[in-house]
Amino acid sequence: MLTVHEIDVFIQASHILRRVSLEVGAREVVCLVGRNGAGKSTTLRTIMGYLRPRSGRVELRGQPIQGRRTHEIAALGLGWAPEDSGIFTDLTVAENIEIATWTRRGGRPAAERLDLAYGVFPVLRRYMTRKGPEMSGGERKMLSIARALALDPEMLLLDEPFEGLSPTIIPSVSDGIAQITRLGHAVLLAESNIHHVPEYTTRLYVIERGEIVFAGTLDDAWRDATVLRIIGGTR
Amino acid sequence: MQVVFGVQKIFNLACGSFYALGAYVGVSAVGWYAAAGGPPALFIVPLALAGLAVGAVGVVIERGLLSFVYERDETFQLLLTFAVVLMMEDAIRLTWGTAPRSTAGLYLAYGQTQLLGATVPVYNLVVIAASLAIALAIGWLLTRTTFGRIVRATADNREMAAALGVDLRRVYAKVFTLGTALGTLGGALVIPATAAMSEMGIELIVEAFAVVVIGGLGSMRGAFVGALVVGILRSFAISIYPELEMLLIYLIVIAVLVLRPRGLFGGAGV
Ligand SMILES: Nc1ncnc2c1ncn2[C@@H]1O[C@H](COP(=O)(O)OP(=O)(O)OP(=O)(O)O)[C@@H](O)[C@H]1O
Ligand SMILES: [Mg+2]
Repeated sequence: MLTVHEIDVFIQASHILRRVSLEVGAREVVCLVGRNGAGKSTTLRTIMGYLRPRSGRVELRGQPIQGRRTHEIAALGLGWAPEDSGIFTDLTVAENIEIATWTRRGGRPAAERLDLAYGVFPVLRRYMTRKGPEMSGGERKMLSIARALALDPEMLLLDEPFEGLSPTIIPSVSDGIAQITRLGHAVLLAESNIHHVPEYTTRLYVIERGEIVFAGTLDDAWRDATVLRIIGGTR
Repeated sequence: MQVVFGVQKIFNLACGSFYALGAYVGVSAVGWYAAAGGPPALFIVPLALAGLAVGAVGVVIERGLLSFVYERDETFQLLLTFAVVLMMEDAIRLTWGTAPRSTAGLYLAYGQTQLLGATVPVYNLVVIAASLAIALAIGWLLTRTTFGRIVRATADNREMAAALGVDLRRVYAKVFTLGTALGTLGGALVIPATAAMSEMGIELIVEAFAVVVIGGLGSMRGAFVGALVVGILRSFAISIYPELEMLLIYLIVIAVLVLRPRGLFGGAGV
């Protein structure tokens, strides 16, 4: 459903992405794995329309979306949870989640979309009236993902959903994402450590200095010496 | 102004000019109204209508100029809005001349009253009540309506808002228009109590700067308190020792900058 075809992306004069290609099919979970500064966020931000590729194509359901404005891309069905969570700190948890139902109408009714969002991360219900600054890192990540889900997108882009989380909270975030995939949403997830790549991943791409250097299953990745050297990390 | 700045992250100096523009158009409107023989007690009606109507120039300026510079850096935006200030000042001079214009004591049409031992024109109280009502209405708009929540989210993180389907340009245009209309309305309403001068735009910018510093940038509650502090101080200073008026405000601004650099309400958890 999402095809990134040989995109080259520049930030000012630096050539950040070189002919990056990847594909996410309907209901697939695809991981983009790479070290810090490899170009994961740049890839996802280009898909979301924050950056324009100098060449190459980004297609959603066969329709080119590169160069379109971010809110249009969101309306076409891509949900976005950025690295820093992007929580609106001035708004309550409930308001953060509801925004998506005001801006993108149609599809499922708002109440149903909110139920889905809270259903994936039920703890959020307890914090509905709280505001951003009173939340922990894990709660922010959950809120960010739940909010993207309330947009009722066909596919979610999650930028390092486990980054900075304590080992005790990672399973609940991971379970939430698994539940989202069971609901039928495709997921493209950026991660810097292969140990954090969920076992339900359909396919994995490794990115190094702006280039895709590996594409295959998680099992193949574990058997690939180059991959392990780049993203093997430490447990 | 606080709303406009917070949402657009454009330091919009032009709001002062809109204020001045509202003032001049207000004077003219009241002039025509008097010439047409309207009852003096109702002069506030054409005044407010004129202020709101001329707020429409905000749409023109937003579409014509600002919508092209949202992505540019802040210095550029600052220069552009400053150019707008200068242009509007000249336009005002060309249209209305350089001499201050006033509505010739019209504000006394509502009589005077005693308040805390001082004689105050009732019109001033009307203006204060109107400002309070407007502030409350804005507060309600921002906290209780869907549009207001979207505006606050956009002010907080515009990239994220866009990713949630918010059309930033539409929000900017609406907020800017609202801000302009409030500016021109404000200018028109205060005019009976003072005189319209082409420099009043700049003066308002200084005052707004004080409000923002005292309240803390991007904090709505702060802006409200800041405006209140500046307003109260000014009116006290004017009635007791007019020369102190601006000095007093600067002193407070300096004190706040030294003691609470982020403003009284600014910056929690940024
Ligand atoms: N605004 C910017 N200006 C200049 N260079 C940038 C900018 N943003 C990113 N880069 C560069 O682009 C490269 C890729 O960055 P990117 O954020 O995509 O990496 P990442 O894989 O997401 O890393 P991380 O794990 O740190 O999030 C890095 O070398 C970075 O220095
Ligand atoms: Mg990143």
